[in-house]
Amino acid sequence: MSEKKDILVCRCEEITESEIREAIRNGAHTITDIKRRTRAGMGLCQGKTCFKLVSRILADELGVKAEEILPQTDRPPVRPISFKTLGGDGDE
Amino acid sequence: MNKNADVVVIGGGAVGTAITYYLAKKGLKTILVEKKDYAEGTSSKCEGHLAVHDTEPGYFSRLSKLSLDMYPSLIDELEYDVHYKEMGIGLLCETEEEVEYAKKIMKGKIEEGIPARFVDQYELQQREKYIAKDILGYVDYQCDSQLDPMYLCYGLALEAKKNGAEILNYTTVKDISLNEKGEVEKVITDRGDITTKTVVNATGVWAPEIGKMVGLDIPIRPRQGQILITERTSVKVVQQSYSEFGYVLTKKGKKRSSVTPEMDEYGVALVIESTPADNYLIGSSRIFGDMNTKNSIEVIKAIAQRAMRFFPILEDINIIRTYAGVRPSTPDGYPIISDTKVPGFYIAAGHEGNGISLAPITGKLISQIICGEERDIETKAVNFSRFQENN
Repeated sequence: MSEKKDILVCRCEEITESEIREAIRNGAHTITDIKRRTRAGMGLCQGKTCFKLVSRILADELGVKAEEILPQTDRPPVRPISFKTLGGDGDE
Repeated sequence: MNKNADVVVIGGGAVGTAITYYLAKKGLKTILVEKKDYAEGTSSKCEGHLAVHDTEPGYFSRLSKLSLDMYPSLIDELEYDVHYKEMGIGLLCETEEEVEYAKKIMKGKIEEGIPARFVDQYELQQREKYIAKDILGYVDYQCDSQLDPMYLCYGLALEAKKNGAEILNYTTVKDISLNEKGEVEKVITDRGDITTKTVVNATGVWAPEIGKMVGLDIPIRPRQGQILITERTSVKVVQQSYSEFGYVLTKKGKKRSSVTPEMDEYGVALVIESTPADNYLIGSSRIFGDMNTKNSIEVIKAIAQRAMRFFPILEDINIIRTYAGVRPSTPDGYPIISDTKVPGFYIAAGHEGNGISLAPITGKLISQIICGEERDIETKAVNFSRFQENN
């Protein structure tokens, strides 16, 4: 049997499926736990791309439905924003 | 699940994992109980500065120095890479008054054996090409350093396990029962009971809840702090990490003339930390209140403005996320590292913004207190009995 190729799950931080599975086996129970242990979801897109994929892996490992997995905490900003825009007078 | 242990440590943050590690190393059968994953509370919602720079000379400063001195050998003992970086932290001064005050504190620190020197405006400009031209200099605290606080928790827990400790994550303490003599007898969790004569409450801002279970009133209240995370950038905004001297002033509740009313109200002072991933962590704020860990636009805006005042280059750099944590603060600003009038019940909490810095010395002192050994430093100032009116 040929070795299965590891899939890149979080493109921003280049985290693979096997790294995520390992984190879960080491005790991660939530999307946030996985993020802290692996950096998956810590990049520029803040998990927008990989959240569903990470949820599916987590659901598979924990034996629950993917829909039952909660997303990470919502935090501002919704999309990247420059210091100038955030710190400005709100004209932009 | 019914178990027994020599010691049960409650709380899987930096302080709790450090205590578990030092107890396990002594050969005590130790169980760590954490209601979620490691670092779920405050240790994942802070920055990673290991600091002596944010205290005035005195006991707290000496305690911090002892703890920082423990780090290099502790790091060597950990298999896990906690991204420890020895590089010094600078305390930036904006006004002549700040320079004068900062130099006075520095003098006292040097007398305590803390290596520090004042770097003037010219040398600052040479070292940091993006610093605002009118910043007057900084005090370089050369023994300060940084690490990843979450990785520190994983590293300490992993090493504690190797030394025989048991870790129960996703386990909630429901109650602590005392025997007829009023001594600790059992920790009751949602996954079963643990019979033990010794419990350490290392739950930080949640310590009052655990204290109530044995009839103690622990005067710790939450102080919220918010932090911004920048995108990964190839712009080397800073060569090392910095805080502004105003951070020391806000800790003391002093007014600053150079900030906006919003910055004053939210206790906003610059803290900038570079990370191995090339994101920058930018703080800070101080708001006393409830357990709220949400970010507010007014506060993050004030933090962004304050950061641009020192490093105008940040203007065009993006913020990708913000976060907020609650720090466990005590009435006198000192932590509690102590036994209590309840036999077998110990407290290691209330470190406010210094829990990561103080984790090693706290772990070691608690292990010495529990074992009745000589302590590395006397602990009167951090004894729980100072809050006698409560207890």
